[in-house]
Amino acid sequence: MDESPNDCGCEEYNELSRRQFVSAAATMSAAALFPAWLPKIVLAKSASSRDIIVSVFMRGGADGLSLCVPFAEPNYYVSRPTIGVPRPDDAKATRGINLDGFFMFPQGMAGLVPAFTLQDLLVVHATGQLNVNRSHFDAQRFMEVGKPIDPSLVTGWLGRHLASVPPLKPTASLRALGVAGGLQKTLVAPMGGTLYPTKTLPIADPTNYTIGGATATQAQRLTFMQGDYAAAAEPVRSSALDAVNTVALLKTVPFAAYKPANAAVYPTSSFGKALRSVAVLIKNDIGIEAAQVDIGGWDTHSAEDPTAGSLFKTMQDFSNSLGAFYADVIATGYAVTVVAVSEFGRNVRENGSAGTDHGRGTVMFAMGKGIAGGRVLTKNWPGLAKEQQEAGQDLKVTLDYKDVLAEIVQNRLGNPNLGFVFPTWTPQMLGVTR
Amino acid sequence: MSSTLPELGAETAVPAVAHAPAVPTAQRPSRRAFVFLGALAATAFVPGTARAQAARRTLRPTDRKPAIDPGTMRPSESVAAPADWTSITGRLVRRATMGVMPAEMTRATEFGYQGYLNYQLNHTRINDDAVEAVVTAKWPLMSQTSDVLFGADSGTLRNQLQESTLYRAAFSQRQLYHRMVELWSDHFNQDYDKVGYLLVTDQRDVIRANALGTFPALLKASAHSASMMLYLDQQTSRATAPNQNYAREVMELHTLGVDGGYTQTDVAELSRVLSGWTFTGKGQFVFNPAFHDTGTKTVLGVTIAGQTGAAGINEGEQMLDVLAKHPSTAKFIATKMLRWLLDPNPTDAQVSTVASVYKATGGDIKSMIRVILNDSWLPASPMKLKRPFHFLASALRSTNPTVTAMSQMNSQLSNMGHLSYTWDTPDGYPDKIEYWAGNIVPRWAFAQALANLNSATTIAVDTKPYLAGSPDAAVEMIDLNFFAKEMPAATKTAMLAYLKGGTFNDARMRETLSLAIGANAFQWY
Repeated sequence: MDESPNDCGCEEYNELSRRQFVSAAATMSAAALFPAWLPKIVLAKSASSRDIIVSVFMRGGADGLSLCVPFAEPNYYVSRPTIGVPRPDDAKATRGINLDGFFMFPQGMAGLVPAFTLQDLLVVHATGQLNVNRSHFDAQRFMEVGKPIDPSLVTGWLGRHLASVPPLKPTASLRALGVAGGLQKTLVAPMGGTLYPTKTLPIADPTNYTIGGATATQAQRLTFMQGDYAAAAEPVRSSALDAVNTVALLKTVPFAAYKPANAAVYPTSSFGKALRSVAVLIKNDIGIEAAQVDIGGWDTHSAEDPTAGSLFKTMQDFSNSLGAFYADVIATGYAVTVVAVSEFGRNVRENGSAGTDHGRGTVMFAMGKGIAGGRVLTKNWPGLAKEQQEAGQDLKVTLDYKDVLAEIVQNRLGNPNLGFVFPTWTPQMLGVTR
Repeated sequence: MSSTLPELGAETAVPAVAHAPAVPTAQRPSRRAFVFLGALAATAFVPGTARAQAARRTLRPTDRKPAIDPGTMRPSESVAAPADWTSITGRLVRRATMGVMPAEMTRATEFGYQGYLNYQLNHTRINDDAVEAVVTAKWPLMSQTSDVLFGADSGTLRNQLQESTLYRAAFSQRQLYHRMVELWSDHFNQDYDKVGYLLVTDQRDVIRANALGTFPALLKASAHSASMMLYLDQQTSRATAPNQNYAREVMELHTLGVDGGYTQTDVAELSRVLSGWTFTGKGQFVFNPAFHDTGTKTVLGVTIAGQTGAAGINEGEQMLDVLAKHPSTAKFIATKMLRWLLDPNPTDAQVSTVASVYKATGGDIKSMIRVILNDSWLPASPMKLKRPFHFLASALRSTNPTVTAMSQMNSQLSNMGHLSYTWDTPDGYPDKIEYWAGNIVPRWAFAQALANLNSATTIAVDTKPYLAGSPDAAVEMIDLNFFAKEMPAATKTAMLAYLKGGTFNDARMRETLSLAIGANAFQWY
């Protein structure tokens, strides 16, 4: 295996790492144990006192029992005769990766093993929303809003977070972006009163954010738009005016020349590209403090096959993209917290199509140097025996996702206004953050 | 690839029986499964800034009263129409079409408000041969049977479907009909990536065949569509293990609405009723008795005796009738159509009025539209933000170019985040202002791209009429073509200043056209 590049000149750490690698290789069966970059220390690049947040939504209802498999639950294999992932001690190459003797990652999640091993990735299990809702769209909506049931609240938790803290960088013209063709609910923000402008835009492709046409007249045409939209109705007005500034800003960001740190390789999927763009924006220090990135493909009603089929591919994209982001951004010391949620899990029992229908409890992830990771966090793990299931069919939700997010908002994002970000919810702090 | 962590049985692994955590893991001592890795994390990975901040961690919420009650704060969905929109006929044309253009305004003025609405509602009496001839010539696969479509190149077919949809929307004389085609395409949304060639038949035989018919007929056609069966996994459903995907969405998204009064048990029971609904061969819907659960079911309080053999399909037909006649469906469809055509936040009275029309007419879509677009509700309604598809079609109508090929428009639609048939979840593209409001730069980029197109092989926007007179006359012409003579005064002044700020030539004129397309007033209807 190649030695890691010695960017920081920390000779002793490289020495140490080689020794450790040898010992690791001796005790482990896997050759691809550590990425070459792993044992390396770097200095923090950001002097800010609050983390940047990258919020990921796994749209479609991710099968938590496949993403992080409770292989020690006997009923797991009984319920999933076709789509069960082999135990870590199985001889098959598709066997899972043991995390703690009870839970395992399937091979599709291997991209996140380094972050887990270095205790920067926390897996939260049997989590989700306490209110039962098996509709994708309602469940996504209320999860993004951050308050169940209330149809009158249309703003998202991350939008309210941004509206209730001053900008990380006072001069920022773009505080947050949704890497999407339209703004995700999570980022929809209230405005007015004493709230801070959230300066948030949906930008499907930050590497190509331009109005085009003759370069000589671009500024003049943008000036026309600036004047014309000054009289527009909200929220179009603010968005357009922010957009004019952002066009100029993103022109200065060298996306094409970007070389990820630690030789990280982002997949060329839309999710991988989105995270790469977010990494570039963060490292160029333009004042981005939040990004919302979505990944679909989780609605596995049929032929989900987490070892080689559709769910395997989705998990591989998810874990390799986030794994690259970890190596490139988090491991290099940027104060960034990543969270990933899904609207619900899926039935314990597989259906007749070798898939799973809409269920309840699932997993969520939190990743960062400020996250107490390296473990699977549960709260009264409900078990998978028939009598332990919700409505006789699902993994129970015993841990509300808002508890995890609220602790991060308070301790990593430095926002004490939890009652504003998560109205009517009194969070229980579970020790998610360090 | 093999396991990258120690196998079970390594010294650090915890016996499986020990884990059945009765206490939160958070409270248990953190298991450091891998000693040397722990050492590594503690030394080589001495934290940077993040760990330096660890002191800030607190385990108690430190709440502070918010400045404003979050329940009262929302982005405005209701945006008052501008004072410039004085003509109520103009308002009707904006709502009933993909965008104003002089010929449409002339026709509406001649027919009057009600006359024009009737004209658009009686869509089969509008001669659309010219547009259909173009579709047949340019996108020949659109008129093929599913047998032929099955063998067609998937990418070619997809482009033909997307391009012909946009072309029809922009240039068909049956404008209101295509506004409804757009609505129902989202209501019964499908993703081309999942269903492929079958979507061509669904669009033709379900959506376009019923867009201005009755809702129950539309629903039934959709339920008998091979494309819908495939999209919502219905074809995989078996008596022994029914798939709930279609059973859920047909109630949640197609008929009752999520708050329409069904339960998870109803979903499960309806999936049993519908077991056996599938398709065969190259897109032929079929009921397969071998997949059907013949037991007794109860859905929405209706008890359905199981039927065997070919008669098993009757159970599903019966339940579709129940759904189509359900009061929740009347309310849900009324609300959806009101939001689409009139107001993002219709009043309860409006919903109840339109729902009663649904009930009285057996879900007749034209009758509902007639009420929704009445001449007292519409002038008082807020304006709506055009979605990118609508916006692009508007720009094509107002620039009225010579179209040879539409492929560039397809990629523009993709840049704006609204490429047809690619929204992968069954809820369809949103029609929410907060979703689309921030997506403005791609619109400006499109405006520039379209205005500068002058190609004999794709699209040619002709600037000669604008350049024939003075700059002032050119801006008046823009007002007529793009704004039905209701362009805001400030926009007109700034646009004229821009046009006069350079040489009055083709390049400057095209840039000025791009400002018209990108202007705020052009984004609304």
